[in-house]
Amino acid sequence: MKALILVGGFGTRLRPLTLSVPKPLVDFANKPMILHQIEALKDVGVTEVVLAINYQPEVMLNFLKEFETKLGIKITCSQETEPLGTAGPLALARDQLIDGSGDPFFVLNSDVISEYPFEELIQFHKSHGGEGTIMVTKVDEPSKYGVVVMEEETGKVERFVEKPKMFVGNKINAGIYLLNPSVLDRIQLRPTSIEKEVFPQIAADQRLFAMVLPGFWMDIGQPRDYITGLRLYLTSLRKKSPSKLSTGSHIVGNVLVHESAVIGEGCLLGPDVAIGPGCVVECGVRLSRCTVMRGVRIKKHACISNSIIGWHSTVGQWARVENMTILGEDVHVCDEIYSNGGVVLPHKEIKSSILKPEIVM
Amino acid sequence: MGSTDERVVAVIMVGGPTKGTRFRPLSLNVPKPLFPLAGQPMVHHPISACRRIPNLAQIYLIGFYEEREFALYVSSISNELRVPVRYLREEKPRGSAGGLYSFRDYILEDNPSHIFLLNCDVCCSFPLPEMLDAHKIYGGMGTVLVIKVSAESAHQFGELVADPITKELLHYTEKPETFVSELINCGVYVFTPAIFAAIQDVFMQRRGKAELRRVTSFEALQSATKSIPADYVRLDQDILSPLAGKKELYTYETLDFWEQIKTPGMSLKCSALYLHQFRYTSPHLLASGNNTKRAAITGDVYIHPSAKVHPTAKIGPNVSISANARIGAGARLISCIILDDVEILENAVVIHAIVGWKSSVGKWSRVQGGGDYNAKLGVTILGESVAVEDEVVVINSIVLPNKTLNGSVQEEIIL
Repeated sequence: MKALILVGGFGTRLRPLTLSVPKPLVDFANKPMILHQIEALKDVGVTEVVLAINYQPEVMLNFLKEFETKLGIKITCSQETEPLGTAGPLALARDQLIDGSGDPFFVLNSDVISEYPFEELIQFHKSHGGEGTIMVTKVDEPSKYGVVVMEEETGKVERFVEKPKMFVGNKINAGIYLLNPSVLDRIQLRPTSIEKEVFPQIAADQRLFAMVLPGFWMDIGQPRDYITGLRLYLTSLRKKSPSKLSTGSHIVGNVLVHESAVIGEGCLLGPDVAIGPGCVVECGVRLSRCTVMRGVRIKKHACISNSIIGWHSTVGQWARVENMTILGEDVHVCDEIYSNGGVVLPHKEIKSSILKPEIVM
Repeated sequence: MGSTDERVVAVIMVGGPTKGTRFRPLSLNVPKPLFPLAGQPMVHHPISACRRIPNLAQIYLIGFYEEREFALYVSSISNELRVPVRYLREEKPRGSAGGLYSFRDYILEDNPSHIFLLNCDVCCSFPLPEMLDAHKIYGGMGTVLVIKVSAESAHQFGELVADPITKELLHYTEKPETFVSELINCGVYVFTPAIFAAIQDVFMQRRGKAELRRVTSFEALQSATKSIPADYVRLDQDILSPLAGKKELYTYETLDFWEQIKTPGMSLKCSALYLHQFRYTSPHLLASGNNTKRAAITGDVYIHPSAKVHPTAKIGPNVSISANARIGAGARLISCIILDDVEILENAVVIHAIVGWKSSVGKWSRVQGGGDYNAKLGVTILGESVAVEDEVVVINSIVLPNKTLNGSVQEEIIL
């Protein structure tokens, strides 16, 4: 089977992290974001993944070579020369997605994390015999999104309503689809929206079905949602593979620590913390609701919450970093500094406190 | 009459990528030395000035950028100006004098009698031939270009005291806390090859001294007391300062303009200074508004030959328009730098701003800065490929590359 991952553009909402790497390669729970999806696809029998990109193909391709061999799955790129919207890229990658077998193919939005219940999706798709299946997720505030109105028992999609003013349903498009090759005949090679143009067509033919996504769902394309997403991911990990999480008297709640990271004495870590490869967390450090990326050093007695610390950065002794502070790559926060929501671009030194949320260029 | 013994080599320090973050967001797309001022890359201005030196044998650019970032520029400028220009990459930070010393073999290859050292991010009239003449008369090892500034601003620079008659450099101090002098170091120097011996002396002295100073962990983290590696030699503190008053160093004062180009805001100011200078040095580069079929031009304006400007637009003063830009009907541009492939649509207004490569400014939209070149948000900057939609107002803001603005913003940095 094949899969297409819509990687898209510049990831500007995840700046400053995306100033250093393209968004799919930004680490989430100690692994590049896109790797979570590729691994889940491999597990369900996908043999080839096509990445629809329009930015920095060289960086992506280098990374992919490494993972192609490690995972034993073929990874290729389909590069847009002009923006093609959410459906156009499928037409562009047509030849890579159709192999004559008639098997359906997956389409994923790269920003989405979830439990990726692909096996259940395949079963449901076969059972209804329709042309396409989309996964939907229940949200509290549906009018922020596009709502999918469907028949409860069969899952047949009736219609889509963009940002409805009155309540029509609470399920939104989760950005995970399983589509028959015939869907490609409905898509032209031009900027096209899959939700506004393609899916409504299939729904009108009574051939589009929706499945409620079990487990968590999050679009981690911006820092606040990234942090919430980590909480959901670790909660799910606790249920599925609790042995991957850390234990000990210095751990509170769900904490994921890479095996090559070093943790000092007297620390208190958690809840909802991910510490990446090669990190050094010195003595007496308090970390909660944060991500510490590869190669970071957190010095003694520092306290970090609700923040993201970018690759190879350092946080000084007794520093306090909180409230959606995002440090880009190679940022050095000096000792005793306070950062309240500082968003710091790569290769900077923070020598004076940031008292209110501010971008440091 | 110049003899073959009087060859001159010029060295221009262009700096490096990660050290200078003050030029962001423009430096996210282009090395600062290649950012255009008055239509020419920043480093082009000192290079052109060097050409006026009699018997110039070679120009070296030294910096921390990768070779490939300068390869194209260096070969095209060598061809264009018919003077050999070469980029040398510094392997590790050695200070301004240390860096110069590390390339002494290249610099001394032509057996020069004099060596100019210039900072690329200095904007001035570069009176190099006059400075060289003065230097020869003084007969010292080096001459420093200096300028008088206001007493209030002098502390930001290296302050010098010079003998009013002999022009000898008597005292030098870098960024002092108390007032020393209104004369400051412009970052342009000329030396005899004896400078290398002077730098070597500093190495010798350093190695001789026992480095057994104990520091507390607090001190060790303060960058001011960080122990400096033996081969890190700064021109100002380690060479000029100790040699002041010893009849080795002299000063040459310029009465023209001088600015440092540290921030994007300052690049707009310096672009205007160079445009003004073109009136005297290269008037053919400035656009004239005499032709009624062309757009109205007021003040100093540079328009690249491939740019297209609608006849009903009004441009200037202090505007620089780069290659393939398109300025639409009824547009008004004042004090701005419009970079390559930009599209300014009909009736848009751009004031005190820098519009990045491939960006577009929509119909009736207004992109404006307050005009305070030194303020963080004093000049509006649009990075590469920014789209400002029709009728949107952008004031005193910085927008990073690849963003679309469909609503008005003020006093904001948009990542």
